[in-house]
Amino acid sequence: MALLAGALAWPLAARAQEAARKRRILWLSTASSPDPFLDGFIEGLRAQGYVEGKNVIVQSRYSPGDPQGLRAIASELKAGDVDLIVSSGPATRAMIAVRDIPVLFAQSGDPVALGIVKSLAQPGTNFTGTTFLSLALAGKRVELLKDIFPKLRRLAVLSNRDHPGEPSEWKATQQAASALGIDALYIPFSGQGEFEAALKSVAETPADALLVFPEPVTMVNRGTIARFAAKQRLPSMFGWSEYCEAGGLLSYGANQRATYFLLAKYADRILRGERPADLPVVQPEKFELVVNLKTARLFGEDLDLSSILFRASRVLE
Amino acid sequence: MSLSERKALRSPPRRAYMWWLGLRRSLGFKYLVTLFTAVVLPLTMGAAGEAWFGYRDQSRHTSDVLQLQSRSAAERIDAFADEISDQLGWAVQFPWSDGSEGTHKMDALRLLQQVPAILSLVLVDQNGIERVFVSRTRLNVVGRGSDMSNDAAVLGAHANRVWYGPVRYEQDSEPYMRIAVARELATTGVAVADINLKLIWEVIAAIRIGKTGYAIVVDDAGRLIAHPEISLVLRGTAGSEDYQRLKQTLSGRGAATVTTVVAGEASIAAATSVSKLGWTVIALQPTGEAYAALRAGLWRSLVLICIGTLIAVALSYVLAMRMASPIRELEDGARRIGRGQFDHRITLSSGDELEKLAARFNEMAGELAASKQKSERINLLKRFLAPQVAELIETPQGLLEGKQHEVVVVFADLRGFTAFSSRADPEAIIAALREYYEAVGVVITAHEATLIQFAGDGVMILLNAPLACTDPARKAVQLAVDLQAAVQLLARGWSAKGYAMGFGVGIAMGPATVGTIGYEGRLDYTAVGSTVNLASRLCDLARDGQILVDFIVAERVAGSISTDFLGERAIKGFNGSTRIFAVTAGLQGPGSIGASGRGAGESALLPL
Repeated sequence: MALLAGALAWPLAARAQEAARKRRILWLSTASSPDPFLDGFIEGLRAQGYVEGKNVIVQSRYSPGDPQGLRAIASELKAGDVDLIVSSGPATRAMIAVRDIPVLFAQSGDPVALGIVKSLAQPGTNFTGTTFLSLALAGKRVELLKDIFPKLRRLAVLSNRDHPGEPSEWKATQQAASALGIDALYIPFSGQGEFEAALKSVAETPADALLVFPEPVTMVNRGTIARFAAKQRLPSMFGWSEYCEAGGLLSYGANQRATYFLLAKYADRILRGERPADLPVVQPEKFELVVNLKTARLFGEDLDLSSILFRASRVLE
Repeated sequence: MSLSERKALRSPPRRAYMWWLGLRRSLGFKYLVTLFTAVVLPLTMGAAGEAWFGYRDQSRHTSDVLQLQSRSAAERIDAFADEISDQLGWAVQFPWSDGSEGTHKMDALRLLQQVPAILSLVLVDQNGIERVFVSRTRLNVVGRGSDMSNDAAVLGAHANRVWYGPVRYEQDSEPYMRIAVARELATTGVAVADINLKLIWEVIAAIRIGKTGYAIVVDDAGRLIAHPEISLVLRGTAGSEDYQRLKQTLSGRGAATVTTVVAGEASIAAATSVSKLGWTVIALQPTGEAYAALRAGLWRSLVLICIGTLIAVALSYVLAMRMASPIRELEDGARRIGRGQFDHRITLSSGDELEKLAARFNEMAGELAASKQKSERINLLKRFLAPQVAELIETPQGLLEGKQHEVVVVFADLRGFTAFSSRADPEAIIAALREYYEAVGVVITAHEATLIQFAGDGVMILLNAPLACTDPARKAVQLAVDLQAAVQLLARGWSAKGYAMGFGVGIAMGPATVGTIGYEGRLDYTAVGSTVNLASRLCDLARDGQILVDFIVAERVAGSISTDFLGERAIKGFNGSTRIFAVTAGLQGPGSIGASGRGAGESALLPL
């Protein structure tokens, strides 16, 4: 009988032991707290059965607008310090040197081009994650802005040059703009420090609309940008719905929270022992077009809402 | 007694241990076997039967479920494709004209909104010229004008109205395919859509077979198109050989289901093909889950069998222990009784057969004690009585009761004893008598005859009573012959010392009254009647060395021992004359007929 009880008790004990072990996840980002993407990721972890503080500890390190600042953290990391690194956006760049800790990334650029994975199907390294097809969507954003605002002739493009892939994104935008007969006015800046000045430059241009590249610095300042655009009466286009929620007119791109939610699934699999090398890089298959109707009303008859509303995934009142 | 046995006797604890070992081997083991058989055998048979039928039912059930699920999944995949082609049909409703591109583009954009799986859409006019291109990721183009009339999609759609292209994997990872739709009316052109097949995931992921069962979709080369675990689809060609083999096994064997190893897990699989797409839907359930209930049942049975075995062992042990003590008691008692300790009594109060057995043992000990006492008493008696008579104490009372019985009576006495006793000193007389009695006693014992009495120099011997014997007459004559031989040998010694003594014998046969006579405290067994008297008379008549017998004896021994008829003689107490015979064979010594060489019928021998 004792033997039987022992046999029954053993798996329970093993499970208890496993549960007692807290997994450590390090979240690295060039955005800043509060971070809606981290919230999305933790929400995803919760859906996978993780409870923060109980069986998982998520530590976050921010270096707003400065991937280089994360490089120091990355270089100090040793195997065993953490079980998993999640790098959001350009932070991935600072992680290239990390070889013995699994790294999950969520970035707009091509991870194969960045050299962190061998192929999307089989990464073959300690990196895997999602790529947002930002580049492919760059031109699409110009087109959508033109659709809703047919009078568009001169488009101010606000771009953080520190963002990896920024040159190709600008190039794709420029090509789309010229194809649509629009003058693209390039307003670059480098990091948070130059952001305010960049806005001033926009105000000084003769632009009649604003396109903002999705990346951490503009994400952090999305409210400021939205208010600026409203004040300047510039119909605005963004990459992520968070900008629209902050008052931007339009956004077109993959749902970021949903993506980080899915990323938590990969985090779970890696924590369970699967190798990132075997987990394919995921691309979003759904893109959402979000329209802020309240902002749209500011522009009255200038906007052709009928051409956009029937295509919108979400309309914010 | 061997050395080891002697050792064993010398060390009782070791002996007890050996005995206990023997018991454990025998009784406990027998109980165990019996109880085990009674408890575990039916349980095992029950479990085996349940397992067998359960397995059969479960595999049939699993097979049915998997086939149903694979068919249902195939229907849903079919519906997924139909839905897209139906929707595409809306984009080819209106015929192309010069200014209609705007309307067509709006239709195409609406379609994109309607069908999330469409990544991009090309509308081709009746001449196969691309007029409208809309996409989720690329810039929309109106009026590009490229010639697509030889595109497989356009040709296919014109031929079959709906055309499904092969599956292609972007960057070897994301699965896509093209679907083209045309109307009967060629003027409406063709709609060619690029479909992101990752959206089939929603169809496939919704299929749950049990808890862990699932469905997958593979193309004709075995490449995964849909799998609940999307990362497996994105992994590219890895694993396609396995799926291809599974697909071929399923289609080749013609069996409804097949059990095989899929993705490192033994699973049961059923397949249904989606013929218009060239795909195959495979429904899978890991055998672990399919037979979980069965396995749980078997575990339950095993636990029951284990508990049964434990109970059987425990019961056997308890029973054997309960048996051990009384059996030891019995064995000890039997050993003591066997050693002659008849007063030993076994005290058992187990209330069962063993207690009865102990009671029997005690009775037996009592009877053995009584029997021993009796035989000791008989041995004592034998010193005073004829052994045959002493033995009769054992026999039923009737044998010693007075009754008429045919007997042979032998009388013998010494001739010239009276003269000897008057002359010789008492020591010599007693010595001579002791020699005489000893010699006579040996012969009597040897012939198993019954000595009735010694009276001085005379002796009376009885045959055929109290115990009957065969041919008593011949035995009596033989006895007499041997007596003569023995006593004549003594007589020779006596004559050497100067005492002339002879020995004569008389034998008669006939009915006599035999039984015990005497009084309370002293009873003798004897025979009375004319036969006894006749024998006595014949003895009186016999000369030294002579054996005289009556007619009956002579007649009875006629075949084996020769006798001489000596003549007739009136004997006192008998009516008429009695015929007298003398034994002539085997006699030696003075006066004996054979030895003396005197002829038969010599009447001079009869001094009558």
